[in-house]
Amino acid sequence: MSAELDAAAVRVDAARARSTSGVRPAPVTGAPVWTAPGPRTPEAAAAGRAAAAVARASDRGARIAAIVIALAWHSVIGLPAVLANRSELAAPGVVLAAWVVVAAVGVLTGARLLRGDPLPAWPLAGLLLAVDATVFAAAGERQLFTAANWVWSTLGWFFVLALWGRRVTGLLALLAAHSLIALVAVVGHGQTAPADLARFAMYVYGTYSLPVAAFAGSAVIAALARERAATAAATHAMAAERDAAERARRERRERLALVSGAAEAVLAELADGRADPADPRVQRRAVLAAAQLRRLIAESDDVPDPLLHELRAATDVAERNGLPIELVIIGKPPPLPVRTRRLLVDPLTAALAEAGGWARLTVVSGPDEVVVSLVTPDRGEPDATGPPGGGGVAEDDGGRVDRLDERDGEIRWTQARWRR
Amino acid sequence: MDAGPVAEMSGGRPVGVAIVDDHPVVVEGVRAWLASEPRLTVLATGDDPDEVLRAAPEADVVLLDLRLHGQMALGKLAELSTAGRRVVVYSEHTDPETMLAVLDAGAVAFLAKHEGREHCVATVLAAASDRPYVPPALAGAMVGDPRPDRPVLSDKEREALLLWFQSMSKASVARRMRISEHTVKQYVDRARIKYTRAGRPAATKAALLARAIEDGLIRPEEIGIYRSQARYDRPTP
Repeated sequence: MSAELDAAAVRVDAARARSTSGVRPAPVTGAPVWTAPGPRTPEAAAAGRAAAAVARASDRGARIAAIVIALAWHSVIGLPAVLANRSELAAPGVVLAAWVVVAAVGVLTGARLLRGDPLPAWPLAGLLLAVDATVFAAAGERQLFTAANWVWSTLGWFFVLALWGRRVTGLLALLAAHSLIALVAVVGHGQTAPADLARFAMYVYGTYSLPVAAFAGSAVIAALARERAATAAATHAMAAERDAAERARRERRERLALVSGAAEAVLAELADGRADPADPRVQRRAVLAAAQLRRLIAESDDVPDPLLHELRAATDVAERNGLPIELVIIGKPPPLPVRTRRLLVDPLTAALAEAGGWARLTVVSGPDEVVVSLVTPDRGEPDATGPPGGGGVAEDDGGRVDRLDERDGEIRWTQARWRR
Repeated sequence: MDAGPVAEMSGGRPVGVAIVDDHPVVVEGVRAWLASEPRLTVLATGDDPDEVLRAAPEADVVLLDLRLHGQMALGKLAELSTAGRRVVVYSEHTDPETMLAVLDAGAVAFLAKHEGREHCVATVLAAASDRPYVPPALAGAMVGDPRPDRPVLSDKEREALLLWFQSMSKASVARRMRISEHTVKQYVDRARIKYTRAGRPAATKAALLARAIEDGLIRPEEIGIYRSQARYDRPTP
């Protein structure tokens, strides 16, 4: 045995070289395990997306209404009038062809609006204005103010479809252009009698009022819905943030309680003079408290292998107290929640604090099992602090942890075994 | 250690050992370890396996440092094992992959340099009689073997390996498992014998297996595992 004890120092150096080869970040005291979301941008973007979805949904009804009005008016009122008054029109073929063109535009824009695809608004508007001028010219003076000149009444609705979702000023500009074309046609056809001009004014009012009202109304409704949805999303985001902050605070307090529990009692007794620093039992309690503090600090470090990192933190303290430790690691532990890691590491931390002579710490990991074991000479002393919980079984979310703490006169064997 | 089988094998004369290491201080240290055991005698030492074995062709066991002049001597190890030389590899490289590769190459045993005199003597004595000896470090590598084609160990064999690796005391393992120390050793050795099917076939692996059957450590019908593996290794027509 003595030869082995001599070799132990060499062993520890080798073990330490193995165990500390990884980068160890500086410990950050009191850093929360959970980090609150810093920048608000992802939440804001999500809220924006939600608001847009609500606006889209409430806008859909208005779109369908506008499409139905435009196409129904175009086919139920416009088409029969054209067909009935074919002989009266100056160029019936041209008027009919223009009707077909506008019907095609209506179907195309309607389909794209329902699918939510973008529309080439201004080219469509240009096309509609060209059709407008053509039909006014082709209708002839006799049919200028009749239903056969269908552009008067119907075209406004197609302007609404083409400019859907845009500012209302665009629609007003288009309707103004439409009125101007009509005025040019009225003057060009020589229909300048006061009664004709009055009719013109009436027609202009008629073509403006309904489409503008529908267009503006739908825009207002969509804007309101978007605003409401954005408000609701912002409220939700704020509540979630508050919950998260509350959780982080609770975890910090729990950790603080753990830390205080670890060191407070022994420090207070030392300060009062009730505990004697020369008493080996007090020394062991101090070592245990230091090891627990060190492990709690290590727990919040962001490292690839938190379990091994926490075990190394526990061995560090013992090594600094002059205990030669051999740490052998086989396999890579799977990610384990902090509670499971505590169940695995705590019994070993306690046993390490009481160890004397030498210690062998082994970790064997597979995807479904992690076994941590500490073997130290059995010094036959009564438990000064005792391992937390001693032996036993603890269940956690992803598996169970079996803990054993045995002395057989030769060795003290502490083992914690997690199984998925 | 069991003196009987060794004496029987070498006809009463001590086991001849050849040490191959490129550090004279290690050679001297190992020689001193082995000198404390009368059943062992060091026949030759040096840093070149071929030269050492020319000097002592009758050596029963070769203690080979895995890293010679900065090179991993895995190729040389496979060559010696195929030729039937009982090689005990000892190294400071105790990562599990290296240890398992050493077993695959045909070494009779693997010994970590820090494992000390007792394990060294026990390993060499066992190797001389083609018997397995599994020091704790090797047990750890076997129990944590992540390879998909690793030998299938029984629960008891695996548990014995794990506890032996953890505690380094067969007496403690026996108490923990509530079995005799002898049974602990059997479980550990059976696990080691199952590893003779891993990797390329070698004369040393066949010898280990044959002795295990002779000793009743493993049942003859379990040889099938080994044969099928050998057939698998043969080139397919």
